Amino acid sequence: MFSRRFDMGVKVGGAVIGAVATIVFLVGFFGVRNDVADVGYRPVQPVPFSHKLHAGELQIQCQYCHAGVEISAHSPVPTTQTCMNCHTAVKAESPRLQVVRDSYESGQPIEWARIHKVPDYVHFNHSRHIRAQIDCKSCHGPVEQMGVVSQFKPLTMGWCLDCHRSPEKFIIGARPISGVFTGKLHNVKDLLDSAYIFTPIPAQVGVSRPITAPQFGSYETDIPPLTVAGIPHPKKAGRGPENCSTCHY
Amino acid sequence: MNARKLPILLTIIVLAAAGFATLVFLGKITWFSEQPPLEFLRNMDLQFKSIPQSGNTYFSDRKSLRDPVEGTVARGEQPYQLGMGDVDLAESVNVDPNLPKTEFVMARGQNRFNVFCAACHNYDAKSQSKLVKRGSWLGIPDLTREQTVALSNARIFHIMSAGQNLMPSYADKISVTDRWAIIRYLRTLQGVEGVASIAPAVTTQAQ
Ligand code: HEC
Ligand code: HEC
Ligand code: HEC
Ligand code: HEC
Ligand code: HEC
Ligand code: HEC
Repeated sequence: MFSRRFDMGVKVGGAVIGAVATIVFLVGFFGVRNDVADVGYRPVQPVPFSHKLHAGELQIQCQYCHAGVEISAHSPVPTTQTCMNCHTAVKAESPRLQVVRDSYESGQPIEWARIHKVPDYVHFNHSRHIRAQIDCKSCHGPVEQMGVVSQFKPLTMGWCLDCHRSPEKFIIGARPISGVFTGKLHNVKDLLDSAYIFTPIPAQVGVSRPITAPQFGSYETDIPPLTVAGIPHPKKAGRGPENCSTCHY
Repeated sequence: MNARKLPILLTIIVLAAAGFATLVFLGKITWFSEQPPLEFLRNMDLQFKSIPQSGNTYFSDRKSLRDPVEGTVARGEQPYQLGMGDVDLAESVNVDPNLPKTEFVMARGQNRFNVFCAACHNYDAKSQSKLVKRGSWLGIPDLTREQTVALSNARIFHIMSAGQNLMPSYADKISVTDRWAIIRYLRTLQGVEGVASIAPAVTTQAQ
């Protein structure tokens, strides 16, 4: 009926349109999801800093550099001073550290590109999670193995709530490398063994009770009494909140 | 390569590519990217406020965390008054609060020691840390040697807070109480205060 050429044109055209439509659909449907678009994001940083070297091999603990994490909402990337604690003596001439030295001299902070970021209408608080003895690995993955840090978890609302509803499934217990305070003494001989440093202790999950208005999803767990003034006491993790206003305010 | 194998090879490549794409889109493997993630609907993701690492276009130096005005101290902060050289004053200024010798205090001391000191001095304070073994930095002293054991608590507090020669100051990172806890723990590592003197762990349990 149609010429062979026309027939061919319809077939090829159909295939092309089909392919384009599929790609547009895939990108549109999945591409905006955090677990596709955000996970694996690793921007180029001003200094070729490696966690694999510093945290993995040299075993500098996370909190040495990310010091505020236990007491503040944010766990800022380290100041230039922190790098210079060592790099005044170690590799003091290295050209790769030129940016760090310049920043140290001028007092102008290094502009590290931000990787993990929840939208500004969400208020995430590190200290609450760290005090409940949750390891960094639960949310950031094995950072000490990453030459370049990339986002490891999607940081979606569903991800937060999954863990808040059943923390025992998602929490990775504190590992010595993270410097999370658990209130327990380690044996010094164990610490000298490299494998021990990266082994999590079993997650400490406590019993949680719904408070005041259970329909809004807020829970409480036992808070240990303050024994020594000035030392924050770790607690067992309970169920996290599901109440909209704890994260969106 | 003969012509008959080519289609097979092509099919394998196409299948592999399709499989990879499917896995990426299903979120099973990650698509490493240096570009900021796509955002079709920005909603209120970026609001007009200062958050860490955001930079600031309002000030000419782009710092969003402003330097404190000279001569002022942030609330709750306890700056260390002495300079590195004021060794003589250290004894009188730093009064040991005598933290209780409980396992809890030891554990805190151990935790902070491991975080802030072990990178250089190693977990057992004998200075064979990874950094030293690598040969990157020599001249880190063994803290269990007699000379260091002989230092008073107030003096070690001073070294931690103000630094000594190449050792940096940690006053801005470790709270005052934590610094005394570190000293408690360091003394057990040195064998000065035996670990046996640790009281049972009753106080650390939740009631
Ligand atoms: C020697 C200092 C140092 C140590 C130790 C260190 N970090 Fe970092 N960290 C940095 C610096 C500098 C950056 C910013 C540059 C980058 O992203 O690579 C950073 C970035 C990060 C980020 C990404 C921040 C963002 O923008 O979202 C995470 C997450 C992180 N570190 C976690 C960890 C964890 C977990 C550990 C312990 C295993 C650790 N870090 C140990 C210095 C350190
Ligand atoms: C506890 C000490 C310590 C701290 C703190 C530290 N580093 Fe390092 N850094 C080292 C050591 C040790 C090496 C490895 C030197 C070697 O290869 O022998 C190194 C190597 C490096 C290198 C590679 C240098 C080269 O020429 O190969 C870079 C870049 C670097 N560090 C950046 C940083 C940055 C940025 C920070 C601050 C966030 C930082 N370091 C904090 C100890 C430290
Ligand atoms: C419960 C999950 C969770 C745990 C545990 C956790 N983080 Fe985070 N981290 C996040 C989230 C979510 C963000 C993004 C925060 C934001 O955008 O405000 C983040 C951001 C960061 C950042 C970027 C700067 C910032 O905004 O704070 C660093 C650095 C970081 N985390 C380091 C750490 C370290 C080190 C630890 C372990 C001591 C840790 N985190 C434990 C979830 C977690
Ligand atoms: C690995 C598990 C885990 C993940 C992931 C997690 N949380 Fe939590 N979160 C907890 C636990 C457990 C608690 C309760 C801590 C306690 O018992 O004190 C908590 C508590 C909180 C609180 C404190 C509520 C209050 O009453 O002050 C906030 C806010 C919070 N989470 C926000 C978030 C946000 C936002 C995210 C996602 C970006 C997130 N969390 C991801 C485990 C998690
Ligand atoms: C544990 C913390 C947490 C709680 C509780 C929470 N949210 Fe969220 N919410 C988040 C996070 C994180 C995001 C950002 C997700 C993203 O980046 O895609 C978010 C995003 C949203 C968005 C925007 C979605 C979008 O893509 O535009 C809405 C709407 C929202 N939440 C509504 C609610 C409501 C309603 C409740 C109470 C039932 C609630 N949230 C409770 C953490 C929380
Ligand atoms: C960045 C590496 C580094 C870190 C981290 C570090 N130190 Fe030091 N420390 C040194 C160096 C180098 C010296 C030798 C200083 C000198 O030459 O007088 C030293 C000396 C000392 C001395 C004096 C020893 C003596 O006999 O004179 C004490 C005590 C000490 N450190 C305690 C600590 C404590 C406690 C911490 C943890 C808060 C700590 N150090 C963290 C590098 C470090």
